[in-house]
Amino acid sequence: MSSENDSEMDCSDSDCGDPGYEDYYNIQPWGGEVDNDVDPEQNRRDPEYAVCDCLRVEEVERLLNESVEVLSNSLHITPSLAKVLLHAHNWALQDIVTKYRSNASSLLINSKIKPTLEQVPGSKSQKGGLCSVCVTISPADRFSTLTCGHSFCKDCWCMHFEVQITQGISTSISCMAQDCDVLAPEDFVLSLLAKPNMRERYQQFAFCDYVKSHPQLRFCPGPNCQIVLRSKEQRAKRVMCSSCKTIFCFRCGMDYHAPTDCNTIKKWLTKCADDSETANYISAHTKDCPKCHICIEKNGGCNHMQCYNCKHDFCWMCLGDWKAHGSEYYECSRYKENPNIAHESVHAQAREALKKYLHYYERWENHSKSLKLEEQTLEGIKMRINNKVMNASGTWIDWQHLFEAASLLARCRYTLQYTYPYAYYMESSPRKELFEYQQAQLEAEIENLSWKIERAETTDRGDLENQMDIAEKRRVTLLKDFLEV
Amino acid sequence: MANIAAQRIKREFKEVIKSEEIAKCAIKVELVNDSLTELKGEIAGPPDTPYEGGNFVLEIKVPETYPFNPPKVRFITKIWHPNISSVTGAICLDILKDQWQAAAMTLRTVLLSLQALLSAAEPDDPQDAVVAKQYKEHPEMFRQTATHWTFVYAGGPAKMPDLDDKIRRLTDMGIEEHNARVALSSYNWDLERATEHCLFS
Ligand SMILES: [Zn+2]
Ligand SMILES: [Zn+2]
Ligand SMILES: [Zn+2]
Ligand SMILES: [Zn+2]
Ligand SMILES: [Zn+2]
Ligand SMILES: [Zn+2]
Repeated sequence: MSSENDSEMDCSDSDCGDPGYEDYYNIQPWGGEVDNDVDPEQNRRDPEYAVCDCLRVEEVERLLNESVEVLSNSLHITPSLAKVLLHAHNWALQDIVTKYRSNASSLLINSKIKPTLEQVPGSKSQKGGLCSVCVTISPADRFSTLTCGHSFCKDCWCMHFEVQITQGISTSISCMAQDCDVLAPEDFVLSLLAKPNMRERYQQFAFCDYVKSHPQLRFCPGPNCQIVLRSKEQRAKRVMCSSCKTIFCFRCGMDYHAPTDCNTIKKWLTKCADDSETANYISAHTKDCPKCHICIEKNGGCNHMQCYNCKHDFCWMCLGDWKAHGSEYYECSRYKENPNIAHESVHAQAREALKKYLHYYERWENHSKSLKLEEQTLEGIKMRINNKVMNASGTWIDWQHLFEAASLLARCRYTLQYTYPYAYYMESSPRKELFEYQQAQLEAEIENLSWKIERAETTDRGDLENQMDIAEKRRVTLLKDFLEV
Repeated sequence: MANIAAQRIKREFKEVIKSEEIAKCAIKVELVNDSLTELKGEIAGPPDTPYEGGNFVLEIKVPETYPFNPPKVRFITKIWHPNISSVTGAICLDILKDQWQAAAMTLRTVLLSLQALLSAAEPDDPQDAVVAKQYKEHPEMFRQTATHWTFVYAGGPAKMPDLDDKIRRLTDMGIEEHNARVALSSYNWDLERATEHCLFS
């Protein structure tokens, strides 16, 4: 790991900023157009970047069928059994071939294609007779036998499949016989299902199962979106659906969460949901000015507040003097643990734990709110600029840098928001100190940027662009040092 | 009712009637209506358990999709058991959920499985969290409570005078008897906490 000075130095002006500042977290700055010209050099340096394709259903089917065909040809099995094998082994084709060559029978048993040895039914080839499910006698041609040797009448198989499909089950439908967990492969199911709508639903559910078991594929989590994203890296990277523009983490499918990892963010979100009652009181939109005690409402995203009454500059989060925040080392984001807590009573420890959680939760929640408030600020700026342009005071191009600034602010604040769960679960260590140092630096620059954007029309353009540059550098430095994907 | 379901139930009904368990009075099944969609089951509490000597009545509803879906079964008789709700009689048992197998399971195997459940609870997969906690943390208290419930609701043989006394203390305060029993059972027969619960919640 490089020190923060080194990484800042090798991050020259030309490769740090994203030239387009395209919509990072669903903010569409400029009529929604997206710059798709990717600069390979920049991507290599961007710790969040992943190579990723957006595929339509037909393209995914083609991709899956290629694997099915290769496996079915090399093992001389039906495509349908090849699918069962691939699904059971997360589409690790080479792995399956190796296992098959070394011990075919154990592979087929483990993949639930053949029954375990104890339960091999005595080779009772059905010559017609009593179906033990419907207790009805039928001729031999009314029976079907699964790969395990268990035989039931066709109507019963069909009913069994329909009941399972109605419950959303497809690739995991198993035999009806006692203690038999052999799976019904696709061709067996489809040969017995009569109703077209049932066949269709079965195929849809099976397709979902195949995509979910394929480590390189992930459904776009966007509402009603059919796109499947493919990344060979299979890592917790930021990806965007080219169709609905949803941005998410490729590995877990949730909102992108760097620098926090997938498990930690899941733990954090569960904790926040569980403790929502406790944390509710925080959501207040008003606080009292720490100097003149007049009630102040927060209506912008910036946490650098100025009291409209006494003009005191203070921090919304900790209510401390803002002057202390701008300085080299500021303590607002850091939680100071009680060093003697181990010797305190259980009650005091519980209180301390809650205090610690609330510290991080409050900041997490506050930045999330700021993101939304800053979106509103952006809307306001758009309207004002529109008026200016209408009154022939400059063109849209003259004001474009403002939208770029707002978009960059959103990306920085988003990353900052996700540094809080990361810090919450971090053990006290020199590394945590370094993390909190960088977090504080990022936070300070973000608030400076937000302050300048809210006063955009009176801010010098060069000054604003300089501030954008500094904020993005802080963000990339933190990610480079702490993002483990 | 679907043809297959009716066919199967008729046959399974006969199977129970003819079974050796019925001869030993361990299980029983009766028709509730002519349509075969609902039956009444009965199991005897197994020996060497707090349920011994009790008779437990079950409601068995046969779905249209039987035997491809399991029957819906619940206890009508109130019972104190980790896998059975003390309030609704709902049962947590894998074969009545995703482990049901159309070709293998019948009314007879369901009743015998439930009887086996009374002998061997699975507190790690509970239906009633309060009972499961008591089962794990205060096994003797659990045994007494379950025996008491068997006596009161299932015609069991063992009267528990100590427990009856505590219930009377609450009923004397105007609390309904079953509510008093539930509160005391849930609070490990701590009279003070049970009183507080009944009066202030
Ligand atoms: Zn089978
Ligand atoms: Zn049949
Ligand atoms: Zn999408
Ligand atoms: Zn993730
Ligand atoms: Zn003030
Ligand atoms: Zn502060």
